Amino acid sequence: MKILQNKPLILSDRRKLPLYLFLAMCCNLAASPIVYAASGTQLSRIQAWALGYLVLTSIGLSIYLFFVMFLPEKF
Amino acid sequence: MSTPSSPDLPHGTREPHRHTPKADVRKIYQRAIFASFLKLHPRSTAKNPVMFVVWVGTVISFLLTLNPNLFSTMQGNINQQRYFNGLIALILCSTLIFANFAEAVAEGRGKAQADSLRATKSDTTARKILSDGSIQSINSQQLRRGDVVKVVAGEAIPGDGEVIEGIGSVDESAVTGESAPVMKQPGTDIASSVTGGTRLISDELTIRITSEPGLGFIDRMISLVEGAQRTKTPNEVALTVLLAVLTQIFLIVATTVKPIANYIADFMSTVLGTTAGNSLRSGVSVTILISLLVALIPTTIGALLSAIGIAGMDRVAQFNVIATSGRAVEACGDVNTLILDKTGTITLGNRMADEFIPVNPYSIEDLVWVAKAASIFDQTPEGKSILKLAENYGAKLDFDLHKGEGIEFTAKTRMSGTHLPDGREARKGSVEAIKKFVQERGGVIPPEIDAAYEKISKLGGTPLAVCLDQQIYGVIYLKDIVKPGLPERFSQLRQMGVRTIMLTGDNRMTAATIAREAGVDDFIAEATPEDKMNVIRTEQSKGNLIAMTGDGTNDAPALAQANVGLAMNSGTQAAKEAANMVDLDSDPTKLIDLVTIGKQLLITRGALTTFSIANDIAKYFAIIPTIFASAGIEALNIMRLKSGQSAIISALIYNALIIPVLIPVALKGVKFLPLTANQLLKRNILIYGIGGIIAPFIAIKLIDIILPFS
Repeated sequence: MKILQNKPLILSDRRKLPLYLFLAMCCNLAASPIVYAASGTQLSRIQAWALGYLVLTSIGLSIYLFFVMFLPEKF
Repeated sequence: MSTPSSPDLPHGTREPHRHTPKADVRKIYQRAIFASFLKLHPRSTAKNPVMFVVWVGTVISFLLTLNPNLFSTMQGNINQQRYFNGLIALILCSTLIFANFAEAVAEGRGKAQADSLRATKSDTTARKILSDGSIQSINSQQLRRGDVVKVVAGEAIPGDGEVIEGIGSVDESAVTGESAPVMKQPGTDIASSVTGGTRLISDELTIRITSEPGLGFIDRMISLVEGAQRTKTPNEVALTVLLAVLTQIFLIVATTVKPIANYIADFMSTVLGTTAGNSLRSGVSVTILISLLVALIPTTIGALLSAIGIAGMDRVAQFNVIATSGRAVEACGDVNTLILDKTGTITLGNRMADEFIPVNPYSIEDLVWVAKAASIFDQTPEGKSILKLAENYGAKLDFDLHKGEGIEFTAKTRMSGTHLPDGREARKGSVEAIKKFVQERGGVIPPEIDAAYEKISKLGGTPLAVCLDQQIYGVIYLKDIVKPGLPERFSQLRQMGVRTIMLTGDNRMTAATIAREAGVDDFIAEATPEDKMNVIRTEQSKGNLIAMTGDGTNDAPALAQANVGLAMNSGTQAAKEAANMVDLDSDPTKLIDLVTIGKQLLITRGALTTFSIANDIAKYFAIIPTIFASAGIEALNIMRLKSGQSAIISALIYNALIIPVLIPVALKGVKFLPLTANQLLKRNILIYGIGGIIAPFIAIKLIDIILPFS
């Protein structure tokens, strides 16, 4: 507790990537079963899991591009 | 004829002084290749939205190379699919490397220049004068604004400052490239400013430091040419938004192709049978969708955008002008009104005395004597030329020079002269000022003076009236010479829609003659330095964008107010700080070149954007028929490409190769012609628009023929 007070919990850029990956995995917990159910028997569980990631990546890219549109001077 | 040492300019070349030592460009490409791989880091790529989408596509393609069944079970030969995916990943990775290379080359040129400047900057020992008058030796990095230092011959000047005591010659070649030493002395607007890193070569100077450590002129130059302070210009910001919008649209298109294809496949299964439907479904793989996305997004301009901006700054720096930001360079391209001083900018700085014109009842010898007496203490080139002309008449002064007193010219009195030892006052100056001087002393204005004034003014010269106490002796004809080539440059500027206004303290008639000779659009006669500000405000209120030059402290407000303010390096610190550009060669004519460089930058960006977007048509016709081949749209394959795989790979190879092909255009700028904005737009659409449609059709077809796909 004392250590935490001395070193406040500020997330550096280096520590953000694992956090984002963890959040993506959590989101995929919801997305991949939907993909799996929608595809019937065409896809394996791993493929549904990968496709879930692909969907999340596409959504993430879209959000990123909106961010560029509204704050272009940051890029 | 372009030479390696002379930068290319829209209107040919000129021989500027360069920073010494010259930037070492040998290792630029070596460094750029290394940097283009380092820039593959996602944090670096994420700064460019278009290339970041390509980066994500590359990563997914690479994963699909490792496992082609990652997203769906592939039909057919799995190894062939792996090979195809690997090839796509490789081409996309090459696209990224080429884009990074373009940026790294542009940055490398600036860094090489910064390195050469850094070499001139070294820590020196400064002799700081303390408040009790004693001298303390300290490192130049410890000097603060307001400190006073003593510098003796042979020593480097420890920081930017103003000379407050002493006269000495300074070698400024480290900054300006000009080898001739410059005389520095206190009290004068121009000659009192010194730059840190230059060297005193004679006598000694006492200098008051005017900059904090690390914020001196050379420090600012280093960070500017290195691109450390580079922020996006308004034009780049607008283009970034456009590219992000286009990328977003094509991302939505690419991600919705699959559901559309499935819908059509279901319909085809019902009408034509299951085989036809499955064929369409399998044709739309993730790799093909990534290829479609990368081919459609404007990768060419996305890759070259920052290189164009950096190269623009570099072109200005090569021209020995330091811009405070890319915004300043871009503003040069938008400028539509140039305000130029007559003397030194339009005419040669030194007006030469050409003729003495006496008025009744005085002879030419009388006039020559008074003119010589009035100019004997005058150190200006005009004063010296009067003395030289007077020598030709054999005029001899018969008073003790040590007992005489020189009166300097000021913008307020508009005259200079000498107090003679016997109390008489010899003056020379503008006709109006001399008339007033004589009238105040009860003198009579001779009628011939106006005729002489008119005669000289009509010739485009400057008449200088000469008087001794209340008697006018005549007029000196100072000849003004318009700089060669300027009328043609002004004519080109007019074609580009840029208006030129000449500002001069001369009378209306002289100003009109010079304006006509030089070919400027407008002129303001009998102007004081304060008038500059009023002219700028008036023009800006009409919606015009103004560029001007200046060097004195009284020019500083106008330099700050103008959209582009070019300060002379020989000028005061105040002028240099107010301006957004500093010319190291102190040549005000460069403003005209800067306008053309700025316009060239904007045209280059526009041309490559047009080309990049026009390329989409050919890529569309290469990839879409492939995806929907089994849906019966084979007719759309107008290039008659061999196969689907060959079509996609050909389009992507073209997409990658066009970037390095266009790097020289991005760095050098497209060919500039003095045309109006409308004419340039038509020309660009014709060359880069239609060219951008036709070129990829030919290139993709050629690559398709060369590729060993059946």
